Amino acid sequence: MIRGLRGYALYGFGFFVVLEMMLAAAIYWWPNFMENIGGIKALAAPVPMLKELVDQVDKGGVAGYVVGQHFFKGCSTLGTAAAILFASGAVAGEAHRGTMELWLARPVSRLRLLTERYVLGLLAVALPVFATSLTVPWLLELVDQTMELPDLLRCSVHMSAFLAVVYSIAFLWSSLGSEPLRISFVMLFASILTFAIYLVETITNYSLYRIVDIKVFMEIVMENQLDWRYVAPMLALTGVLYVLSFKAFAKRVP
Amino acid sequence: MDPGSISVRALTHSFGDKVALHPLDLDISPGGVIGLLGPNGSGKSTFMRLLVGLVPARAGEIHVDGLRQSGDGLEIRQRTTYAPGELHLYGELNGKDHLAFLLRGRGRAAVKRAEATATDMGLPLDKRVRGYSHGMKRQLVFAAALAPDVRVRILDEISEGLDPAKRSEVLDRIEADAASGTTVLLSSHHLGEVDRSCERLIFINAGKLIADETAASVSERAARLVRVTYPEGTDLGGAEKALGGDWLESLRVDGSDVHVLLSSDDPRGLLRAISSADALPAPIGLEHGKLSLRELYRSLYGVEGT
Repeated sequence: MIRGLRGYALYGFGFFVVLEMMLAAAIYWWPNFMENIGGIKALAAPVPMLKELVDQVDKGGVAGYVVGQHFFKGCSTLGTAAAILFASGAVAGEAHRGTMELWLARPVSRLRLLTERYVLGLLAVALPVFATSLTVPWLLELVDQTMELPDLLRCSVHMSAFLAVVYSIAFLWSSLGSEPLRISFVMLFASILTFAIYLVETITNYSLYRIVDIKVFMEIVMENQLDWRYVAPMLALTGVLYVLSFKAFAKRVP
Repeated sequence: MDPGSISVRALTHSFGDKVALHPLDLDISPGGVIGLLGPNGSGKSTFMRLLVGLVPARAGEIHVDGLRQSGDGLEIRQRTTYAPGELHLYGELNGKDHLAFLLRGRGRAAVKRAEATATDMGLPLDKRVRGYSHGMKRQLVFAAALAPDVRVRILDEISEGLDPAKRSEVLDRIEADAASGTTVLLSSHHLGEVDRSCERLIFINAGKLIADETAASVSERAARLVRVTYPEGTDLGGAEKALGGDWLESLRVDGSDVHVLLSSDDPRGLLRAISSADALPAPIGLEHGKLSLRELYRSLYGVEGT
């Protein structure tokens, strides 16, 4: 269970380091990728969804490669795991270890207790996404490539909105439940299943990861604007889930 | 409502179908130590949690320190301290950090007072709480509960798990605090320990108020209580008839014991009845005027303490 500013800062920093390492390794590999794109396309050809991904990267150039490696692969998979792990113990962890009464007995309102924990966890998920994205132009310079920072920030907003929904679902469950491990396992399993569905051509459109795939991010980069058809509902859903979490939390007894 | 007072009207709570607290009316005047007694699961902790808003009341009104409880009870928690009976602490924190956690929103002075109390009680504040014994954890929570400058303290099983010397030290500190005008509501199922500290005793069992009396009245009743023990297997069905008379206020049979509450503190009438009761054998034991609080409640209400 993560608790307090220090705890969330530590876990958020850990998430940042992992994302940054993956990003740096991916960008370092960019020249090899471009040299071998023909071979990679041939390898991916038998699997239609993989072929589509490689084609999108090829079509998007370095921007397609970065959004594919950083946002679609790194942030959406690791970010989902981080969001679930950071949220699952938020309230359920206190109930599980029996410290709920101590936590609630102090002269602090329930709204404040919950909001603090919600916001800290959300920042621990979202800030590393933005922070790693800020390093992309610098990393690209090392391989003689460029990408506009505003495009990267717009992609980060889109990515964070998606992760906020995942985080808020786990947070709501945590506000209702008492078993953080069960919440983590079930939600991680569901997210892996959803990612697996993405890779199956016939059912790919049922995967939530369609919302954060290379095609969506490339549209953001090409249009130079956020796609509010996705972002607005995700932010609204996040808000609704938070309100439901508070309603559940307000009724909890130690 | 006076500052420092506690008052509830028709306070009710249930967990699903199980009624945890039947409609309860209670008034506690400011100052002094008030014992809330009852066996495990009697509703003491639920009542205390209701007072500070940790459990929402199903019905009824709560006033603490002159303020009516509303919302999540924040204003009442700001005006009181509450020490929970269940002892689950954050083992990864050291004692000092844990006190700071417990006293969030109480100000730096309260934290300093708590640290001083804890140090005075011999707690190693630089050590992680997971290394503390049960009794040390209890003392840490007590030190935090005693530190804020408030008029009402609600302490649930605060001396549970302490050795006799530490228990006595805790009670000394509570008495000193109450002497300065604080109202201390002290729950315990360890009836003996509240004998010395409480001036008023409220007894709850199965979510119902069973007795609410002053310690002096309890002592006076204890002086009138006689326990007569007969040999194992004696048929005590006719005990009330055999021992009855002007001297008898009430009588209750419990196994091979007969608990008699005399109408005065003179036992001679009962002693004559015992010796002349042909329907009963000679008793093997007789105790008068020296029963503990625990035995008193058992005798009067048939409810076990520990």
